[in-house]
Amino acid sequence: MSYNMKRRAFVTRVGQFGAGLVAIAGGLTSWDLLQPLPTSGFGGKVRSIPPGAVPDEGVIEVPAARSYLGKVDGEIVAFSEKCTHLGCRVPYCESSSQFECPCHGSAFNRVGDYLTGPAPRGMDQHPVEVGDDGLLYIDTGSKILGPAPGENLHDIAPTGPSCVAEGE
Amino acid sequence: MPEKKLMNKNSPKDVVTDKTPTASAATPVAIGRKDPALLEGRRVLGMVPGKPVAGQRKEPAEDDMVMVYPHLLVRHAVAAMSVLLLVLLVAIFFDAPLRAIANPTVTPNPEKAPWYFAALQELLAHFHPLIAGVLIPGAIILGLVALPYIDRSVFILASHRKVAVATFTTFMVVWIALTIVGFAFRGPNWGWVWPWQEWHGEL
Amino acid sequence: MDVMNSGESDLMGRVRATRVGRSIWRTPKKVTPRDRAAGHWSSFALHIYPVKVRKAELGFKYSWYLGVISTVLFGSLVVSGVWLMFFFVPSPGQAYTNIQTLQTEVPFGQYLRNVHRWSAHLMVLTVAMHMAKVFYRGAYKAPREFNWVIGVVLLVLTLLMSFTGYLLPWDQLAYWAVTVGTEMAAYVPVVGDRVQSLLLGGNTVGQATLLRFYVLHVAVLPLAIVVMLTFHLWRWRKDSMLDFDRGEPDA
Repeated sequence: MSYNMKRRAFVTRVGQFGAGLVAIAGGLTSWDLLQPLPTSGFGGKVRSIPPGAVPDEGVIEVPAARSYLGKVDGEIVAFSEKCTHLGCRVPYCESSSQFECPCHGSAFNRVGDYLTGPAPRGMDQHPVEVGDDGLLYIDTGSKILGPAPGENLHDIAPTGPSCVAEGE
Repeated sequence: MPEKKLMNKNSPKDVVTDKTPTASAATPVAIGRKDPALLEGRRVLGMVPGKPVAGQRKEPAEDDMVMVYPHLLVRHAVAAMSVLLLVLLVAIFFDAPLRAIANPTVTPNPEKAPWYFAALQELLAHFHPLIAGVLIPGAIILGLVALPYIDRSVFILASHRKVAVATFTTFMVVWIALTIVGFAFRGPNWGWVWPWQEWHGEL
Repeated sequence: MDVMNSGESDLMGRVRATRVGRSIWRTPKKVTPRDRAAGHWSSFALHIYPVKVRKAELGFKYSWYLGVISTVLFGSLVVSGVWLMFFFVPSPGQAYTNIQTLQTEVPFGQYLRNVHRWSAHLMVLTVAMHMAKVFYRGAYKAPREFNWVIGVVLLVLTLLMSFTGYLLPWDQLAYWAVTVGTEMAAYVPVVGDRVQSLLLGGNTVGQATLLRFYVLHVAVLPLAIVVMLTFHLWRWRKDSMLDFDRGEPDA
């Protein structure tokens, strides 16, 4: 009797173990299967403009890369348009020379430093490189996280009234 | 006859322990209080060991029960048809909204979540997203799941479970208030608007 | 010769008395409670109901019928949703135009979409109210704790259903609500970014996202709801016969 029960318990345990294994394997396989594939266009390297076209002050938008090209301390960088808060597109406000997000009121200065609002950090950047054709390529597939609030903040005063105050 | 007594639908609440009827009446919570083996000295036809599968229960009185068909079914049918009628009528007079085609380069201002997430969105404007977007909803769901295991008293009257009712009511009031604020009182740049002056609610 | 329905004079009774009729309806003529119970037990449609319930459960005051209303709305959503599927291709190039065509050219297309939309909003509302009502009634107490848990799962599934459906028209409302919603997932510690890209199927809301949300909306989540709802109703049926001793000193 006890011999049989042991055997039964063993078989049960093996069955449970097997079922668990299948579930884990299935879960991991699905997880891998559903990972996004690398893409061309947005999500990959996007060809943009020659380096000379990037303004020293202010930014220029590259819609295909959903980025702004601008200069931080003389170096060309690409700011991701996605707000670091919740991914709304952050428009650049010409009058104040700041990025001002309409969704929850986050604001960043011209070089992407965090100024105000619920965003957890400054604006994210995409790596930029000069291609063989002399044009800038924005690698939208990878992301450099923006600086933490207050971290080596560039002291740039707003050049004028904020766009947010006028509403739309 | 004792076994007859056991089967009696109208016997005292706790048939197993009716050996001490006064004690049984004085202490209402009776789960697992007495060992069924204490029925010694009585003639029992048969006993199943352990607690009843459905927990502590009393036998429903025979005249307390009614046939589902037709009593409950007819009420359910009326409820079902009423709500269907409501939906079918509302659908005649109000069209589902359809805005401009999706445009990744233009974020609408204000950007509104569906109304049932308006409370979350309102929280997101005030707290770090890890708190407002992950921890708070996670805590709410976990709290709801755990509720019956935390509130283990058997009482159901609100006056006998003041803490549970007060907690739940507070949560509901706060949540409904946040939903209404996020849905109707928020305008461009998530600023405050009065819904009778500017309407920004989206369904 | 049919014992049960013999002597029936109306048309339905005569149809049911035929050989074919008897093969379809096994329900006997309902006269006594015993007959009714027997008919109830042998009816497929009624087997989700218990045979008897407590009188107290009958009235509007007890439940506001929110459970049955939510179930009916789910049925309305399945029917209208299947109709909508005939007119919808889940691709950013076509989804929006499909909806426009549906609304302007397909007979009753706009109406169909309205029914689906308003049923969905109403269902979120009634499911939430159902939960509140069950709480205040104390109906989550032992031995029904786990049915409450299933109910919470059903509430979450309802919200997910509604949210995945929100993206499908591919308009501005849909696009940005889903952008913000999926961005929230990225804040989950450790796995957040992977979960977000899993939901999006890329690093932004696009073709892959639309397809994923569509599959979730028309297959995965409805199936999950049906399974959980079946379990929920089965538990309700099993427990509805119980009359619990709540130990109310003055109840």
